[in-house]
Amino acid sequence: MNSKGRRRTGYLFLIPSIFIIVVFIAYPVLNTAYTSFLSLRIQTIRLGGKFVGLKNYIDLFQDPLFIQALKFTCLFTVVAVVLETVLGMVCALIMNRKFKGQSFVRAAILIPWAIPTIVSGLMWQFMFAESYGIINQLLQSWGVISEPIKWVTGAKYAFWSVIISDVWKTSPYMSLLLLSGLQTISKELYEAAAIDGAGAIKRFWYITIPMLKPVLMVSLLFRTIQSFRIYDLVSVLTSGGPANSTQSLTLFTVKNYFQFGNLGYGAAAAMVTFVISMVIAMFFADGIKSKMEVPKKK
Amino acid sequence: MSNKTKKNIENGALYVFVITFVSSILLPFIWLILGSFKNMKELFNVPVQILPSTWNLDNYVAVFQSQPFGKYIINSFVISLMSTLIVIVIASMTSYSIARVEIKGKKIMLAALLSISLLPPVTLLNPIYQLLSKLHLLNSYLGLSMALVATELPMAVWFLTSFFQTIPMEVEESAMIDGASVTTTFTKILIPLITPGIFTVSILTFINAWNNYLFAQVFNPLEKARTVTVALTLFQQEYYVPWHIVSAAAIIVTAPLIIVVLVLQKRIISGMMDGGVKG
Repeated sequence: MNSKGRRRTGYLFLIPSIFIIVVFIAYPVLNTAYTSFLSLRIQTIRLGGKFVGLKNYIDLFQDPLFIQALKFTCLFTVVAVVLETVLGMVCALIMNRKFKGQSFVRAAILIPWAIPTIVSGLMWQFMFAESYGIINQLLQSWGVISEPIKWVTGAKYAFWSVIISDVWKTSPYMSLLLLSGLQTISKELYEAAAIDGAGAIKRFWYITIPMLKPVLMVSLLFRTIQSFRIYDLVSVLTSGGPANSTQSLTLFTVKNYFQFGNLGYGAAAAMVTFVISMVIAMFFADGIKSKMEVPKKK
Repeated sequence: MSNKTKKNIENGALYVFVITFVSSILLPFIWLILGSFKNMKELFNVPVQILPSTWNLDNYVAVFQSQPFGKYIINSFVISLMSTLIVIVIASMTSYSIARVEIKGKKIMLAALLSISLLPPVTLLNPIYQLLSKLHLLNSYLGLSMALVATELPMAVWFLTSFFQTIPMEVEESAMIDGASVTTTFTKILIPLITPGIFTVSILTFINAWNNYLFAQVFNPLEKARTVTVALTLFQQEYYVPWHIVSAAAIIVTAPLIIVVLVLQKRIISGMMDGGVKG
């Protein structure tokens, strides 16, 4: 069965993806790493770059804008992922019970997931508008606030408007993933625990959480990595403002690349983003082990 | 409290929760749909006007008059379709090797795919830009498609590998005994057997490509190959946003996705779970 010819075909079949990986992934990463040690500007790119060692990195960590972007991105990632996981978990637990209209709920959940982030960003920007936006008008008519809140343009609330838009878009998706994990836990476990006198909280803590851990870890990993890349949402919702308070690392890098033409500096920022992403991945190393194995038969 | 009342209260709470949950998901989107039928004046009304005074398609017509939006839809469609087709061809070949052939380097391949999915796209941005620029592939269908293929490949390979695993080895063996070559067995026998998997991966890849913004914005900035997500951000002017037109354009961009997703929800949910996170 594993004839020579079959094995040769097996290797040949890998060539296209190896080509893609080398040209569009490996080379770009190495090139970015190399460029981060150069002083290279887009205006003089033909002249080539001058090797400056760690200068770009040293400059980055003395640049208040970069520090702000780093802080915003980390804070956003932590707050968004925590909120999405908690909300997603609550919704998954609810959806795991039997009720009428279950399939309708599941269909509804897919809507925020399917729409482009650009669309959800614009949608929330419109709802957050200071004077005519529905959110301020509702809050005012309910008497929650007396003055309209400057959601997107105010220093205090811009962060939260980004969080709210992101939570709206991604917690339903998170709940779906967690639900898939919940459904693999056998009902008998809960029944046995209930007979032994374990209350709902104990059952959640000692059965649901440990049984859900594999799915939870992988979901958390991918959500954390994806939140850390945040770009589309801030670029359309707040444009990184006000006063760069919602500028993410990716937005900072893109601006340095294509607005200021500072390729070496941008590359250093991209590498910092890269390194932090890898650290996040290692943090969840247990969760990703399964991705390194050839998938098992189902 | 009797058991029955307790149960009723629990059920009531469940429904209150479900209704809150579903309406917080749906209402913002419904608000966008309503907005797409209102005129400028109705949109800026204080207090809020919930329903448009008249239902007409003026805003939708205006979308196509203020930008060559039809062209952008075609661009997005071709680019998404191209990336999907390339992903499917390459991923099914790779998955076949990983799932069914005893070859060395499987682990390295899987590790490479995993690192791609963990990689922030911004790390790839400028080198791919410079590369496409040298190849004269900026503002083209092919250039952007290839970049999207690279980032979409891992999900497709993971998903299709698990599909290839489900086919018994005997299927291949008997085909070989009948004298079919490896390539023929692959294209004529195995591929048809994993069609459901290919179908799901296609939908997920297409949606991701259609929704992409970062690559589309950087690699295809000119009108020639501009995509719909980039076009959506261009209605905005410095002191004024024509929200009635933006809303209509947003609905045009989103409606096809939502219809596809609702029709095929079962497959998409299983696809998301298998390809995205499940081990």
